[in-house]
Amino acid sequence: MNAQLAYQRKIRRRRGALALMIATTLALALLSLFFGRYPKAGFALPLDWSTNAMTRRVLVNVRLVRIVLALIAGSMLGCSGFAFQMLFSNPLVEPGFLGVSQGSAFGAALMIVLGAGSTLSVQISSTFFGLVALAVSYVLATRFRFGGWLLRLVLSGIAVSAIFSSALAAIKLVAEPTKDLQDITFWMMGGLWNASWKQILSILVPVLVSQVYIISQRWKLNLLSLAEKSSFSVGVSTRRDRTLLLVAATVGTTVVISITGLIGWVGLITPHLARKLFGSDASVSLPASMVIGSFFLLVSDTIGRTLLPTEIPIGLVTSLFGAVIFIIILSTKSQEGKV
Amino acid sequence: MNAFELNEVSFTYPSGTTALREVSFTVKEGSSVALLGANGAGKSTLLDLLLGLHPSRSITLYGRPLTSYGRKEVGRLVALVPQSEQFNFSFTLLDYALFGRSPYLGSMQSPSAFDAQIAYEALEEVGLAGYESRAITSLSGGEHQLLLLARAIAQQSRILLLDEPTSALDPANRRRTLSLLKQLHTRGKTLFFSTHDVNFASELATDVVLLKEGRLLAAGPKEEVITAQALTTLYETPMYVAQTNGHSFMY
Repeated sequence: MNAQLAYQRKIRRRRGALALMIATTLALALLSLFFGRYPKAGFALPLDWSTNAMTRRVLVNVRLVRIVLALIAGSMLGCSGFAFQMLFSNPLVEPGFLGVSQGSAFGAALMIVLGAGSTLSVQISSTFFGLVALAVSYVLATRFRFGGWLLRLVLSGIAVSAIFSSALAAIKLVAEPTKDLQDITFWMMGGLWNASWKQILSILVPVLVSQVYIISQRWKLNLLSLAEKSSFSVGVSTRRDRTLLLVAATVGTTVVISITGLIGWVGLITPHLARKLFGSDASVSLPASMVIGSFFLLVSDTIGRTLLPTEIPIGLVTSLFGAVIFIIILSTKSQEGKV
Repeated sequence: MNAFELNEVSFTYPSGTTALREVSFTVKEGSSVALLGANGAGKSTLLDLLLGLHPSRSITLYGRPLTSYGRKEVGRLVALVPQSEQFNFSFTLLDYALFGRSPYLGSMQSPSAFDAQIAYEALEEVGLAGYESRAITSLSGGEHQLLLLARAIAQQSRILLLDEPTSALDPANRRRTLSLLKQLHTRGKTLFFSTHDVNFASELATDVVLLKEGRLLAAGPKEEVITAQALTTLYETPMYVAQTNGHSFMY
């Protein structure tokens, strides 16, 4: 009976902490609405929003839309990063792992140089090539005659990434330098400045489906992080479940980066922070990783659009913070199951 | 009733290596069966087949073809104690024991407090109670093996498959594991374990299966099967049986 009570208490405590994190992130989102370069640099409470159309436009169509996109993109990257790490039983894996990021980048660059650089075509092309990269990695892994299943996936992912990066380099060589090359470079650095409500609506359904599915399978993620024999022996259809979860995580990631560009480190770092705070059990640390992802991207974007008169691409901010946090996490002792 | 029935089971890997050739024997409900054989004899493959990892139509589980069961259904009847497990995430001991409850959970469900109680009792049974919040990555080799057993106990299956349960244990932990498995057997669990430790097999098993180069050499009650002659043939090295204080020792 004591064990039951202790378990219930632990779950309640973790859920409470999670709710607090969600509330903090939302409060911060509201606060960041008043950060920016208008009407003055830094924090400003625009009290004239009811009379001034410009203020309303800045708040709703520039800032709010970016904040919402940061929350959605951050949660998706945190979610798929967590799923990838569990599925490959490797805490150093992130969604770019199976060539997905390089495939998406190639798809986006291709559309930009073909002159069909409308937002929608870039979005479709980068999602498509992200999925192609995943599929090619997967098929290659089944053909390789070396090592176990996971090792083969890793190796084929490396090969596919390399192929797409060299193709991308070739595109950059022929890209028109004054416009296309700049567009490609900015896309590679990631940014939310292009955000629009229309874009958000266009990714909302695939992102939600992917997130809901992965969250619903969070206990299974624990089991899939074990050796295949072990997860199989406790009733998991390992091949099928792993494939479905991989596709869900990849689709979610590619549709997000198709409009945000490449945003590094979020998928790698947030699962680590979540596990540090909530322990390894995905029941709580997966949702926590999503909340932390949202928080991380929100803070990075707010800094990126407030600090300097010109915008700092969000990918640069996340990479800098991500690397520092990574170093700190790996240098401190594990605090397993503390919350 | 037969827990497992194997009827001329053969298995060839996609690479072309034939691991098992026409192996037939039965595992009776409530028996404790030791699987002996040299390295590469096909023991691991046989365990994989009994687990359902490679589908085989020539194996029945409680009278029904193993292939006709759902994954979770098998998980409720058969639990595996792997030889070892590599831990890449620092789950707690309780988390890990809780994994054994998975065959009882719906596809979107996480364990309940009731499952936690069962997992806790499983840890208690193997002597790891009080450590349930510790990280699995901090365990010693002996504790590691006990934890693998705890997960299988929490699974509450009728059959336990064990892959060389004592291969990494010192004498004290070997004895502890032996007495735990004896208790489980006494309480009605069917045990099927592969081992290189002939004496462990002789202490724990009621029946023995001898596998040589993928073929069945002998199967039956241990008194009939474990003889110096059979073991000599099995391992292709001279083996002897000695009697001390009413116990047989193989060397």
